[in-house]
Amino acid sequence: MATLALDIQSLEAAYEPGLPIVRGASLAVQPGEIVAILGPNGAGKSTLVKAVAGLVPITAGRVLLHGADITRVPAHRLVFEGLAFVPQTENVFANLTIAENLELAAAILKANRHERLDPVYAMFPDLHRQRTLLAGRLSGGQRQMLAVARALIARPRVLMLDEPSAGLSPKLVGQVLEQLRRVRDTGVTVVLVEQNVKAALAVADRAAVLVEGREQLVGTAAELRADARIAELYLGRHVQREQVQGVA
Amino acid sequence: MLQILADGLIIGSVVSLGAIGLSLTFSILRFANFGHGELLAWGAYVALSALAVFAALAGGAHPIAPFSFGWPLLAALAVAAVAVSLLALALDSALFKRLRRQGAITLVIASFGAALALRNGLLFIYGGVPEYYSQELQIATALVPRRILGGLRITPDQMFVLALTVVTVIGVHLFLSRSTLGRAMRATAMNPQLARVAGIDPERVLRATWVIGAMLAVVAGVFAGLTVQLRPTLGLDLLLPLFAAVILGGIGSVWGAVLGGLIVGVAESAAVHVVGAEYRAAAAFAVLILILLVRPTGLFAEKT
Repeated sequence: MATLALDIQSLEAAYEPGLPIVRGASLAVQPGEIVAILGPNGAGKSTLVKAVAGLVPITAGRVLLHGADITRVPAHRLVFEGLAFVPQTENVFANLTIAENLELAAAILKANRHERLDPVYAMFPDLHRQRTLLAGRLSGGQRQMLAVARALIARPRVLMLDEPSAGLSPKLVGQVLEQLRRVRDTGVTVVLVEQNVKAALAVADRAAVLVEGREQLVGTAAELRADARIAELYLGRHVQREQVQGVA
Repeated sequence: MLQILADGLIIGSVVSLGAIGLSLTFSILRFANFGHGELLAWGAYVALSALAVFAALAGGAHPIAPFSFGWPLLAALAVAAVAVSLLALALDSALFKRLRRQGAITLVIASFGAALALRNGLLFIYGGVPEYYSQELQIATALVPRRILGGLRITPDQMFVLALTVVTVIGVHLFLSRSTLGRAMRATAMNPQLARVAGIDPERVLRATWVIGAMLAVVAGVFAGLTVQLRPTLGLDLLLPLFAAVILGGIGSVWGAVLGGLIVGVAESAAVHVVGAEYRAAAAFAVLILILLVRPTGLFAEKT
């Protein structure tokens, strides 16, 4: 069996000591998959990915990236280990131009600028056309594209995104998620937290439903789409009341 | 009129250089460092001590005409820049780093304490008597005759201060806009969390901020000593103008700090000439209030 791209084992994470938001969550992500983390508001989805990204203190459990323990690796070192994270909001440096955002990402890694930027510009031609524009002047969709592009400069093995569709129009959500499918096709494993369950299940290979800080349901996207509890809670389809108990 | 402007620009040069460092500290370390003025004073006095050593080694101060100072002062400036940078790093390590998790208010209060200790340290070592880098007499050159807007007279040392301020500000601008570390500092100021996930080491950025802030403070302190005099209360005297310049220019902006410093300098100079020296601080703050009424975020606050 191949080594897991990302292996989250019984993770607990808390902003304040003694008040865990993530309570023993586990998730196994195979290389080359797109995995969506779903769940109601306050379930701890964003906290889970932030904890993996080193931004929220982990109080118990382990995180393995391609078999290497990264549980205690500081946030600023994770990008060197092959894990990139795109936060939900303020995910670009608004006071830098598009080019400066991407060049800074390459410079931090001490990588050749053209070697890193050219493939990313090829994937996001709009960013190349507007490269002298300040990131703060971009629309929501463009910002999201730049945020993904900035993360890809590091050539990560695993890319985590926190609600990439937040604040975007339905058309833009489709474009952003389609872009993630293209990113996966380049060999990058993608883990995304999403509120937009319908869109997430359309792009994901598998998904996990997080409730009260731990996974309640894990399956393929097709399985979850067919699940009556998911349909009732997140996709707006009516099912018998007793069927949904146990998830929410 | 021209003389008021020139005097203001010279005062403003000192304030601007100090304000750039304070603004960087404010935006990256995320607290108002009330000890920053003391770095200027320490810079000025460490340079005085280093100057004494270099002058003794060289058998004199060897002024370079038409200035009142020679290479020993420039070498002393470099020594002071290194020494005060180390002092700032030591302060961070011993004090601020330990309190960083406690929040900005705790850090501000700690900076008050640090300022008191540093100021009294200077008084203890050097005493309260004003000092000068040089006893050379400087003759102001008439650049503009009196019949044109009251004329303009300026000393070679003052011209040196203005010229080196321009060079220093351009250097800081190029560093922050072109170098990886400079861009990392701007990125950290803008969004520290994103900076971390982008691979920027926050501690490295903090250290760079202290060093650059301290070096600029030393240049400002030496300029203050060169154009006026050295006194242990130099840092305290400059503290409010520094904060006025930073707030006026917009926190986090180098050009804002420069322009804020120059406005404060010209306002102080105008107050001295028009209503008397005792109102110089009040004039600077009147300008600050007026501008903040129009632009509450300052003139050049960086947008998120």
